Amino acid sequence: MNNRDTFRNILRAIIILLVQILVLKRIGLSSQWWWQHGQIFLYPIIILLIPFRITRHYVLLLGFVIGLVIDMFYDTVGVHAFALTGMAYARGVLLAWLEPRGGYQLTMSPTNHAMGINWLMTYTAVSMFIFCFLYFIGEIFTFVYLGQILLKTLITFFMSILVVMGYHFLFNPKR
Amino acid sequence: MNNLLQFVIRYSAFILFLFLEAVALTLVVRYNTNQQGIFQHSSSVISGKLYKVADDVYQYNHLQTFVDSLASENALLKEKVFNLERSVQRLLPSDQTIDSCVLESFHLISAQIINNSINQRNNHFTIDKGRKDGIKEGMGVISEQGIVGIIEESGKEYATAVSILHSAVQISAAIQRNGYFGSLVWKETDPAHMILEAIPGQADIQIGDTIITSGYSFIFPKGIYIGKVEQFWTEGGSNYYTIKVRLHEDIARMNRVYVVENQDENLIRNEQ
Repeated sequence: MNNRDTFRNILRAIIILLVQILVLKRIGLSSQWWWQHGQIFLYPIIILLIPFRITRHYVLLLGFVIGLVIDMFYDTVGVHAFALTGMAYARGVLLAWLEPRGGYQLTMSPTNHAMGINWLMTYTAVSMFIFCFLYFIGEIFTFVYLGQILLKTLITFFMSILVVMGYHFLFNPKR
Repeated sequence: MNNLLQFVIRYSAFILFLFLEAVALTLVVRYNTNQQGIFQHSSSVISGKLYKVADDVYQYNHLQTFVDSLASENALLKEKVFNLERSVQRLLPSDQTIDSCVLESFHLISAQIINNSINQRNNHFTIDKGRKDGIKEGMGVISEQGIVGIIEESGKEYATAVSILHSAVQISAAIQRNGYFGSLVWKETDPAHMILEAIPGQADIQIGDTIITSGYSFIFPKGIYIGKVEQFWTEGGSNYYTIKVRLHEDIARMNRVYVVENQDENLIRNEQ
């Protein structure tokens, strides 16, 4: 039972990575204003969906490795790794902060099914915002362009959260 | 000692986090300063192959459009060669043929883009030719519409190029009408425009003037079309014009490209 879940999680992660690299990256290839400032990131959902029982250290390492894999395909050495590791750490803090009375059920994952829509929205929105913000800081790597960082973060955040929540509603992952 | 150990255990997640972030930032910074292949790029075999397969599927749907555009480009080139040959022949003494005096210094290698981006601060693209097809680092990449990039890293079968939409790119470009030249850079997030800097104040510029490569570098041959002047101004107090150039090539849609091999450069290198 446990093994099958792990296997399913890994398979899901690979499919999401493929969708990110082959579909979502290509969508951004348009000269419209909208796409010049925004991108769609679905793959952080892999980190967001990790079950509660996995310890913070593993989540951090996973964030770093997945970030590097994405970096390899986006030609942005280190930027995705930086942002995703940051989000993976924030996940631990956020889970402690959002912990319901009675704690988490360790067999569950942070999903709509387990935690309800309000909880999930807060959790996803805060995490994704941190991710987008860190990503653009890493990409531009100086605060000279603070306005641009904020603009890009906001646009990317809204497009990404639509897709991430869309994933939750479409597939309604249980674990 | 015991306290220290307890501290480390208690904050181990945070320490791991700081360590990983430091590694990631080191990668970002090192990569930005010297563009060496310290990292697996999309020119590597695994990612290159994946992009190639995905691109093949995509291309198949657009095959007819590509064939049409290639055919029309071919016709245009034939026409150009024919006209050039005729005019050159007219200038030559009648006992010489063109072939004996044409200097072949640039060689073009045709390639296909299999991965591209335009909305990052530093953009790159990947092509389906690599070292085994003669692609080397530092070669220029052009398309039928203008210049598009410079090869950054050449793998065995694929190569990654810095797009002209990259914050570190500087290309020597000139105004076709009067030959004034400056350096072309990408400053904004707009993939349709670039900025041509350091054009002397006495230059006569008009909106709509054609911008071409200047030929003052080994990377691109002289006279490749880049774009048109859309707007120009002098930065406060400066004696130089800054020109906003509208690129002729839509970088987002480019597909077939040619890698420029400069055989003069090889000659010079060999002599040195």
